[in-house]
Amino acid sequence: MATEEDSCPHGDVDRSAAMTDDVTTSSRVERILDTHREALQDGQLPMTVYNDEEIFETELHRIFGQCWMFIGHETEVPEPGDYAKRYIGKDPFIFIRGEDGQIRVLFDSCTHHGSQLCKAEQGNSSHFRCPYHGWTFKNTGDLAGIPLRDQAFEGLDPDEWGLHEAPRVENYKGLVFASIADEGPSLEEYLGDFKWYLDVHLDIAKGGMEVIGEPHRWRADSDWKSGSDNFSADSYHTGVAHRSVFEVGFGDEDISGTAGQETQRHVTHADSGSTSLRLLDPEEEIFFGYPEEYITDENLSDEQYEVAAACGAATGTIFPNLSFIHLAATNDPDKPLDGFFSLRQWQPVAPGEMEAWSWVLVPAEASEEYKQRAYDVALGTFSPSGNFEQDDFAVWDGIAEAAGTVFADKQDVQMNYQMGMPGIGKAEIDEDWDGPGTAWDDNLEEGTCRTFHGNWQKAMNGEEVGMRYPRDHI
Amino acid sequence: MTNQMTHQSELERHYECVSFYNREAELLDEKELEHWLELLTEDIRYDMPLRVTRDRGSDRSEFSEEGFNYREDRSTLEARVERFQSEFAWSEDPPTRTRHFVTNVRVADVDGDELSVKNNLLLFMAQGEEADGTTVSAERHDVLRRVDGELKLAERDIRLDHTVLPMKNISVFF
Ligand code: FES
Ligand SMILES: [Fe+2]
Repeated sequence: MATEEDSCPHGDVDRSAAMTDDVTTSSRVERILDTHREALQDGQLPMTVYNDEEIFETELHRIFGQCWMFIGHETEVPEPGDYAKRYIGKDPFIFIRGEDGQIRVLFDSCTHHGSQLCKAEQGNSSHFRCPYHGWTFKNTGDLAGIPLRDQAFEGLDPDEWGLHEAPRVENYKGLVFASIADEGPSLEEYLGDFKWYLDVHLDIAKGGMEVIGEPHRWRADSDWKSGSDNFSADSYHTGVAHRSVFEVGFGDEDISGTAGQETQRHVTHADSGSTSLRLLDPEEEIFFGYPEEYITDENLSDEQYEVAAACGAATGTIFPNLSFIHLAATNDPDKPLDGFFSLRQWQPVAPGEMEAWSWVLVPAEASEEYKQRAYDVALGTFSPSGNFEQDDFAVWDGIAEAAGTVFADKQDVQMNYQMGMPGIGKAEIDEDWDGPGTAWDDNLEEGTCRTFHGNWQKAMNGEEVGMRYPRDHI
Repeated sequence: MTNQMTHQSELERHYECVSFYNREAELLDEKELEHWLELLTEDIRYDMPLRVTRDRGSDRSEFSEEGFNYREDRSTLEARVERFQSEFAWSEDPPTRTRHFVTNVRVADVDGDELSVKNNLLLFMAQGEEADGTTVSAERHDVLRRVDGELKLAERDIRLDHTVLPMKNISVFF
């Protein structure tokens, strides 16, 4: 945690610096943000933002303290009293279904003197009892018990001292998000055009998707933005970073391998997100590798259904740190490819350090046997031990280290994100594309990543998230 | 033959298990993964369940029944080993230097040709210039089976002492 002092290595906070409701930024941060804006116009990114104390503190306030943050899936807390410990940025919350059936996101801190209430990562409870002085709260957050109340707290109105909670909580097709800012766009407004793509994943299976098991959690010396950037999507890396998995046969080269094949699409500037769609011939009806009996066309438009039918692999990121992968792959080269869906969240721990969370989801009405098979495929491909994901985390090594250098700061080192910009590469806008956002006829372009970094810039400047092309021509 | 194990003295059994673990640790630490595979039975079950902090009063085990870091059989382990041998397996470039410290070996049960053995594992890992390295602690619940006179690993349940993994990936065997 940065102290006042060390968050400002370049001298005192400039009092004339920009200010939003919640945080004052130093002139140094303003300068970095200005550089970022100019650089991104030219497809470049100042490396410093991947590991900088002041930038990190500003992110916690302006991004994690403002945006809609993924908390969990409603199938993780199906019964009254079910709860799971979750974080918004670094702030601890309890994701809980109360006895009234309602899902809340309660601040994990006693309203008396602040002690932690929730010790378990997941469980079921009617009450939380504070270990310090014994105040007891119901799973709705209401204050239900005060030891020695008549003597100690006569006159106190317990209704005023229930647990603090995230002021805004919304559920989009099972995905629960919260915002700790009192005001802002609704979740649907925030997701914006990207809903169209999210729906393809959440609505393609009969009965929707459900979570299996608890989320994987693991730590890495990479900035949270490395995860968001990679999944936003970076199709260029698959042929190199994941070459070994195609050699051994955990995936199919045509489905998820080398970038640049004709049918593959990138969709950029879809408000909150961007995505890579590895499309085959829709006649193949691959549906991310799911058996056809689990598929339904009831909840999707014809255009969305056609994307799902043709898609064997998709990744995407919803700003700031919720990513997904929907993939036909295998954990065993002797077994056929099967589909799974994974949500992943890149949580900020410190500058250049993150905690990855990953949930495995499967079609809710699939057979138990298929669900277990899909879990095995997810585990064998995208998890801490996943044959794909091991290498993603390995190739991100060194980015945060370099970003934190004096050299990067002094020399204002820029990273190259120019692929697909005018004059660089061959990707063109696909004018015939049916979905929202801007589709490119080739996935050898980095407008996906620039969409993420463009939203980052907006949020860091206190503006509303939402990338549109050509308005945001980066 | 079936009762050969039951006729062994406790001392002999203990010695045989410790020898097995020492040999296994050496193969893993020397990256002799093909030879390590030879220590596994054809029907090996190799699991590492997620660990989840539960309420102190909870009757549920901390070891997940649904979430895993490893849930392998012989075929998936062989595929992983094959991948590690690729020059493009970046998670093992440079190779993680491991040291498997196996202690507290307890033979919990003897059933015909099979021994249920609990043991503690401290696994030290360091990669490249990393000064501190990473240490992971676990208990292993194993089933060792005598096959053609040799002990082989038939089941391993790796029970971590961590709920949040302290490393960026799992690219080694436990
Ligand atoms: S801090 Fe919780 S009861 Fe006092
Ligand atoms: Fe990747």
